[in-house]
Amino acid sequence: MIATNVRRLAIYLVIAFAITSVALSWWQVVEAPALAARGDNPQVIAARRSALRGSIFDARGELLASSRVADGISRRTYADTAFTHVIGYASLRFGTTGVERAWDDILTGRADPNPLNDLVNDILARQPQPRDLTLTIDRRLQDFAAAQLGSNVGAVVAIDPSTGAILAMTSTPTFDATPISGDPAAAGDAMERISEGRDNPLVVRSRQGRYTPGSIMKVLTAAAALDTGAITPQTTYPDQPRQEREGFVVEGFRVVEHDLGSIQPALWPLSEALQVSSNIFFAHVGLEVGGETYLDVARRFGFCAPLWIGTEARGLPVAPSFITAESEGDCTPFQDRAELAQASFGQGRVNVTPVQMALLAATIANDGVMPQPYVVADVRAHATDPGGGPTDRIIERYGGGGGERVVESEAARDVRSAMVDAVHAQLGQLYAGGANVANFGVPGVRTAGKTGTAELGGGRDPHSWFIGFADAEDGATPTIAVAVIVESAGSGSGRAAPIGGAVMAEWLRLEGGG
Amino acid sequence: MLLPLALLVPLGFAVSHIARTGAADPGPLGMAAIYVVMMLAAHFILVLAGHRGDPLLLPLVATIGGIGLVMLNRLPQGLRGTGLFGLELGMAETQLLWFGIGLTAMLAVAIGLRDDGFLRHYKYTWALGGAALLVLTFLFGVEENGARLWIAAGPVRFQPGEAIKIVLVVFIAGYLAEKRALLTGATVRIGFLKIPPVPYLLPMIAIFVIVMLIVVVMRDLGTALLFLGIFLTMLFVATGRRSYVLLGILLFVAGSSVAYNLFDHVRIRVNNWIDPFADVSDAGYQTVQALYAFGRGGLFGEGLGQGLPTIAGRLPIPALETDFIFAAVAEELGLIGAFALLALALALVFRGLRVAMLARDDFSAMLAVGLTTSLGLQTLIIVAGNVKLIPLTGITFPFVSYGGSSLLASFVVVGLLLSISHRSSVASPDEARAP
Repeated sequence: MIATNVRRLAIYLVIAFAITSVALSWWQVVEAPALAARGDNPQVIAARRSALRGSIFDARGELLASSRVADGISRRTYADTAFTHVIGYASLRFGTTGVERAWDDILTGRADPNPLNDLVNDILARQPQPRDLTLTIDRRLQDFAAAQLGSNVGAVVAIDPSTGAILAMTSTPTFDATPISGDPAAAGDAMERISEGRDNPLVVRSRQGRYTPGSIMKVLTAAAALDTGAITPQTTYPDQPRQEREGFVVEGFRVVEHDLGSIQPALWPLSEALQVSSNIFFAHVGLEVGGETYLDVARRFGFCAPLWIGTEARGLPVAPSFITAESEGDCTPFQDRAELAQASFGQGRVNVTPVQMALLAATIANDGVMPQPYVVADVRAHATDPGGGPTDRIIERYGGGGGERVVESEAARDVRSAMVDAVHAQLGQLYAGGANVANFGVPGVRTAGKTGTAELGGGRDPHSWFIGFADAEDGATPTIAVAVIVESAGSGSGRAAPIGGAVMAEWLRLEGGG
Repeated sequence: MLLPLALLVPLGFAVSHIARTGAADPGPLGMAAIYVVMMLAAHFILVLAGHRGDPLLLPLVATIGGIGLVMLNRLPQGLRGTGLFGLELGMAETQLLWFGIGLTAMLAVAIGLRDDGFLRHYKYTWALGGAALLVLTFLFGVEENGARLWIAAGPVRFQPGEAIKIVLVVFIAGYLAEKRALLTGATVRIGFLKIPPVPYLLPMIAIFVIVMLIVVVMRDLGTALLFLGIFLTMLFVATGRRSYVLLGILLFVAGSSVAYNLFDHVRIRVNNWIDPFADVSDAGYQTVQALYAFGRGGLFGEGLGQGLPTIAGRLPIPALETDFIFAAVAEELGLIGAFALLALALALVFRGLRVAMLARDDFSAMLAVGLTTSLGLQTLIIVAGNVKLIPLTGITFPFVSYGGSSLLASFVVVGLLLSISHRSSVASPDEARAP
């Protein structure tokens, strides 16, 4: 009797061992490749630990990031904290961000820019070779922009309008990424100190910060209206002078003008309305365009969807900028005409990134063609002595993507002319005059621009915005477009416009000089 | 049977050493030599004493233990260790010392225990002793990872659970051998379940309550699951009733859900089991790292000594030397090696069950079943926990995991099995065979 039961027990135990063995085989054989591919797998981390990483240089071959392997650990050194929010970090403990993340496989040599070479390397079982990167950013301009922001919280984005090359992209406050990119044991404390820093230095405000734009949005409203023929540069609104004083009621919502100071309301066409930044005028313009068309044009400019500096496959992600409420990554239709009226002058639910606004300026500067932004200029063979600059062996070159026409040339020209007036003309000088590059020692150049004072409500100080470009002279090709935001710094004319002017002037000087 | 082992263990040590250092030098083989000599010595002592117990038990244990020792020797030695009479012992050396102590205890039990009368007759005394240990644990237990498994008496720490396990088996075997007929006979029906009459059921319920008390006292689901498993298995073998097992499992599920709601550490473990990847860096870390180790091992393994070294001075898997030693074996020896280890464990279980089938009386048979089940279920529970088949519980892999209490208890179990099989061979000369 017992013997029979023992025999049955033996069978049950065999079944239990068999089930366990099946589970074991599942992880060791079936799931093994999926497990090996996970980034937090120590196997992946260990391979990375001692792997030499390529260097990163600025546009003129100055060393920005380099690695050396000591005690079996790959340690990375970053030369300039102004670049932290572009390059990111390569930490054994915290993974990678920024350029370090998007170009990780190329920097470590795990992948070749040319897939065919990957295949050859695989067949020949070649050791991965690290590669170096050159950025489109000139360190001198980057440092200058960072110094302009100083201890303020904000961002500066500068783009070459005809090529899309990023000329400067800073975000403050920043941090030194070197301590978290070396010994993983020490990285934890360093990261903790950084994350406890004032105003959260880990936030990449240039690409991931989303702000109410205020009046700089009027540039988009004007472009949409001119492009769709809703208005001409001569269009005026007869009720406007009265409404400037009394307010303009749209579906129960009262659009109130900002304080015009000593300026007397008049029958303003586009140029003057942009110069004094009339909310009433642009509310009318937006309503004239219509909600659906407005969103269509905005989408062509890149709003309502994620953007990429580079390509989606290999690039820095930029958070989507929204005009209305977000739904599944897209802008929802306008709730009512009141929301459209507010969005037309950059209030309401509009939420935008500095990169998106720099692209808006660059598109107007580039005759209505939106350039494809990029920040890594090329991939090169690894320089064994990074101090001596990059090698001449270029493996892959980026950029020259051509761009995409988003508004007609004529519409872009009319907006550009109004933006030049906003800096140079009699009324405009009072607002955006501070951006004139002539103020910064570069005479004989026309500056186009628009300021923004983003009202936040709740008694908080408004964000100070500026977008613009130079040289905006008729027939000239602008070589720099900028977007500047300084958080809670008051009016756009007071803080952001002079920074924008200074950065543009500095670039014109650097270009002229070499 | 021990001869192939005498070659295999030093070979394992040498391969592991060469792979780790990259030198064409087999490294210090002293530990391997001591291990092999110990096992051979134990074997010859049994032969010289005229012992006629099962001849395969010791070789199987020696092989399983050898794999464990090779793995422990390969891990950082500073991880665990003992200072003894001014002598600093590393982890593997400490384990080797416990192998010596365990073998001695096994020989003492196997040869010394010529009559099991004092086990059988004083079963209630044994049960009391076990209960006393339990009370001691409750009063003076040291908490670790939320479970209270240790008693510290001065510098010596031991796990009373290991001793309670053996005592519980002895008691249940004694009780079932005596009351078997009654439990199998008359039944009362409650729904679809046939249960024995209440007077006979009560002691059974008492045992069940003790098991559940263990959950509360030790706060350890693994030990509770093991104890209950042993109890239900023995009950099944004694009566042949699957319904008892079913009832027990239902009650365990109910008890576990209470524990789930009462104890945070139980809840964390269960949630981890359901989705360890939900919190890879913290709560799910251990489980996920073990799965990575299994994945790295693949079919053929990374090779002895070629598993992942420590990361920044830490083990790739916390508790690798105890709860996750199987993952370390599977990483370096692959699915093939892991299967081999499981096959050896299953073979040990088969030999133990064979001892039960050949036992000359009910008590010996029940005792052998209980002891064998304790080894088999413990292996199953920890391996199934490692591969995420069941929630992870902190128990050891018999003869493989690091740990003195566990090793000593496992050797006492083998000693008892040897003693039972010796008596049955002597009683029936047909089965007698030189070890």
